[in-house]
Amino acid sequence: MTERVSTISALTIALAVAVATFVLPVSAAEFGPVEPIKVDAKKAALGKRLFFDPRLSGDAAISCSTCHIPEKGFGDGLALSKAYPGSDGFRNTPTLINTAKKAAWFHDGRIGTNLNDVTRESITETYFMNMDMRLMQERIKQDPVYVKMFKEAGYGEPSNGSVRKAIPEYLKTLTSRGAPFDTGNLSDAAERGFELFKGKAHCAECHSGSRFSDDMPHNTGVPENPDIWSNPLRHVTYVAYSMFMGIENYMNIRRDVGAHVRTHKSDGSDIGKFMTPTLRELTFTAPYMHNGTIKTLDDVVAFYNRGGGTDPNKDRRIEPLGLSKEERANLVAFLKSLSGEALTGPDHVWQEKINVNYAAIEDWLDKKN
Amino acid sequence: MAKRKALSRAIIATSLGLVALGLGSTASADSNPPLAALGPPPIPHDNPQTPEKIKLGKLLFFDSRIGGDASVSCADCHMPKQGWGFNDPISRGYPGVIHWRNSQTVVNAAYLGKLFWVGAAKSLENQAPGAALGAVSGNGERDMVEARLAFIPEYVKRFNQVFGDDWPKVNNVWKAMAAFERTLIHDNTPFDQYMRGDKSALSEQQVRGLALFQGKANCIECHNGPLLTDQKYYNLGVPRAEDWLESGLAQITFRYEQYAKGVTEELYRKIKDDAGLYYRTKQKSDMGKFRTAPLRYIAYTAPYMHNGSFFDFEEVVEFYNDGGGDNDFTDSTMAKTKTDLLKPLGLTDEEKEDLVAFLEALSGEEIKMPTPKLPRYAPLPAVASTN
Repeated sequence: MTERVSTISALTIALAVAVATFVLPVSAAEFGPVEPIKVDAKKAALGKRLFFDPRLSGDAAISCSTCHIPEKGFGDGLALSKAYPGSDGFRNTPTLINTAKKAAWFHDGRIGTNLNDVTRESITETYFMNMDMRLMQERIKQDPVYVKMFKEAGYGEPSNGSVRKAIPEYLKTLTSRGAPFDTGNLSDAAERGFELFKGKAHCAECHSGSRFSDDMPHNTGVPENPDIWSNPLRHVTYVAYSMFMGIENYMNIRRDVGAHVRTHKSDGSDIGKFMTPTLRELTFTAPYMHNGTIKTLDDVVAFYNRGGGTDPNKDRRIEPLGLSKEERANLVAFLKSLSGEALTGPDHVWQEKINVNYAAIEDWLDKKN
Repeated sequence: MAKRKALSRAIIATSLGLVALGLGSTASADSNPPLAALGPPPIPHDNPQTPEKIKLGKLLFFDSRIGGDASVSCADCHMPKQGWGFNDPISRGYPGVIHWRNSQTVVNAAYLGKLFWVGAAKSLENQAPGAALGAVSGNGERDMVEARLAFIPEYVKRFNQVFGDDWPKVNNVWKAMAAFERTLIHDNTPFDQYMRGDKSALSEQQVRGLALFQGKANCIECHNGPLLTDQKYYNLGVPRAEDWLESGLAQITFRYEQYAKGVTEELYRKIKDDAGLYYRTKQKSDMGKFRTAPLRYIAYTAPYMHNGSFFDFEEVVEFYNDGGGDNDFTDSTMAKTKTDLLKPLGLTDEEKEDLVAFLEALSGEEIKMPTPKLPRYAPLPAVASTN
C-alpha cells in the first residue's frame, strides 16, 4: 500500500514536472515590466538599515551588503562569492533585484517558501553570516536607533521575528525599473534580438515571465568552476553544505550537485540542475552562471549557440542554435536592454553612517532588560 | 562554631529527607576531606591517554580553525601566558562579542568532576564543544569543523592513526583536546611538596597561613581535599561585574545569556546579576551560586571569582575576612541564598599576610608552552567523475 502510494505520488510529481518543463507555451509568457510591490515604508526603511549593518553577522564583520552590493546589481561582481570570514563561497552571488517575486531561492532552489526563511538562512548559515539570532536580537536591542525604528514600524521591541520580516520588506523595494525593454526604447538590434529570444534561440523556454525566469531548475551543462575544487576554503564550504544538505558520498564528489538537494533522485538525473536565473540587470551582475564561469554576455550567447555544455543529464532542449554572428550580437543587445536604473540611491541604500559600537544603557540597574 | 555547622547540616539533611533514613548522623563538623598532595588525574575509560592523541589535542587546542571565523582557538581565552586563562575580569569572547564570566584556567581542570563555573559540562570532552560552539566563545559549528579538518592532510593522518577515522570526526576533536588538557597538571607546588613530607617547602609564615586556612579562617570548609575544592556551589555575595554597568557589549551578552539559558520572560526583564547555578537547576535557592574554585596555580590566574571581581590575594582575603559580600542574591532583591558558612573572620593584619603567603605556596613553576606550528590546508586529490 505504502509502496503504491509513493509510486503514484512519484508519478504525479514527474508529470507535474513534465508539464511545467515541456508544455509551457512560450506565447503565454508575459515579458512586461516587473510590477513594483507595495511596501510599508517604515518597515522597509528598518529592513534597509539592517541590510547594511555588519552587526548581523557572528563576528560583526560583514553585512548582507558585503556580498549583495548595490552598485553591482546587488551581486558582488565575483565569479564565486566571498563567504563568512574563514570560509570562501562556492557559488556566484545572485542579484537580489526582484527577488521578492521568486518562487524559490538560492541557485539550487533549496528554499521554496518565502523571504522570511531566506533571511533566516542567510543570517544563521555558518558560511554566510554565522549568527546566533538570539545574540543578534540582543545586539539590536542595544542600539537606540533600532529600538525607535522597530517601535515606529509597529514591531514593538526588536526581535528575531521582526528582523525576518523587516529585511524582506526592504527586499520588496528592489524592483527593476527603467529598462529600455520596459520603456519601449529598444534599438533595432535589440528588437531583432527579442524575436530571436522568443524564436530561433529558444531562450524563452526557460527565461519566461517578467523576470525572464521560470523559477525551475535545469541542467544546461555549465562546466564546473575548477577553483571550487582547487581552493580548499571553497571546497571546505561545499563539504559543510553537503553534510548539512544530506548529499551522499560528499568527500568523493567534485561537482556541485545543484537542485539535486531538492529532489534527491536516486539515479542522479537531477544532479547539475540549477535554477533559471533572472535576465534582468545583467549589465551589473557579470560574471554569469551559478558558478561565475562565463565572463561576458557574448560568451553566454556563444555557450548556448554551441548547445550548452556537455553533461549526460543536460536538458534535451539545449541544442546548437546556428546563430550567425549578427544574430548573436542582436541577442546580446536584447539582453542588455533588460537592465534598468541602478538601485543605488537613498531609496535603496542606507545613507547614514551606522555606529556599530554599542553605548551602555545608562542607569542599567533601574531599567528593565 | 562547631555547633552552628552541625545545626546547618542538620537543616540541610532534613531538607533532603536523609534524617528519616538515618543518614543525617554521618555529618560531623570535622568531616571535611583533608588537604593532601595532588595525585594523578582520573582518566576516563572511554578516552584513554596516548602520546599521539595528546599531541593531536595540543594542535587542536591551538588551532583557530575550530572557531567560527577561524580566528579564535581555545588558547585565545585560555592563554598559556595568562595562566591558561584570561587576565581580564571578564574573558574576551568571540570577535564582536565579550564573554560574561572570568575565563578559568585549564591547569588541573582534569581533576574536576564538572566543568564551567556552574558545572554545566560533566567532562572535558563535553566542555570543549560547549566552548568551541557557543555564540560568545568559539561560535564554531560541527559540520564546518569536520569539513575544515578534512582539508588539513596532517589532521587526516593523525585522526586516522589515533581514532581510526577515515575523515576527522568532530567528536574526536573534543576527545583529543580533553586528552591534551589532562596533561596540564600542576601537582608539585610547595604545598604539595610539604604535604609529601618536605617540611622545608613552606616558610614558617606559610605554615601559619596553612593553620589559619584550616582553622580560624575556615577556608577548608569548602576548599578541601587534595584539589582544595569540594566542587559544590555557594553564593558568597561576590559583587556584580562592573562591566554590566559600563559596557554596552557586556550588557548585550548579559541579556543573551538569560535568553539562551531559558529563563522566564519575567526574570529576563528584571535580572541584573549572574544567577549562576540557577540556570542549570531553575531553583530559586540556587541563585547566585558558583562552584568552589580549586586553588592551585592561582599565582598565574588573576583576577579571581566567577566575574574576576578581585585582582589579588589580598583583596580575596579581605573579602572573606569581611564575611563575604552582598549581591542581588543575598539581600532578597532576587533571592537570599548567601551561604551561612561565611562570617566575619576577625583576622589580624599579620594573619591576613600569613594566609596570603600560604596561597602563594599553591603555585609552582609556570607551565609555559609555545604555540605549536599548525598544519596547513591542502586541496583534496581529484577523483573520477561521480555523475
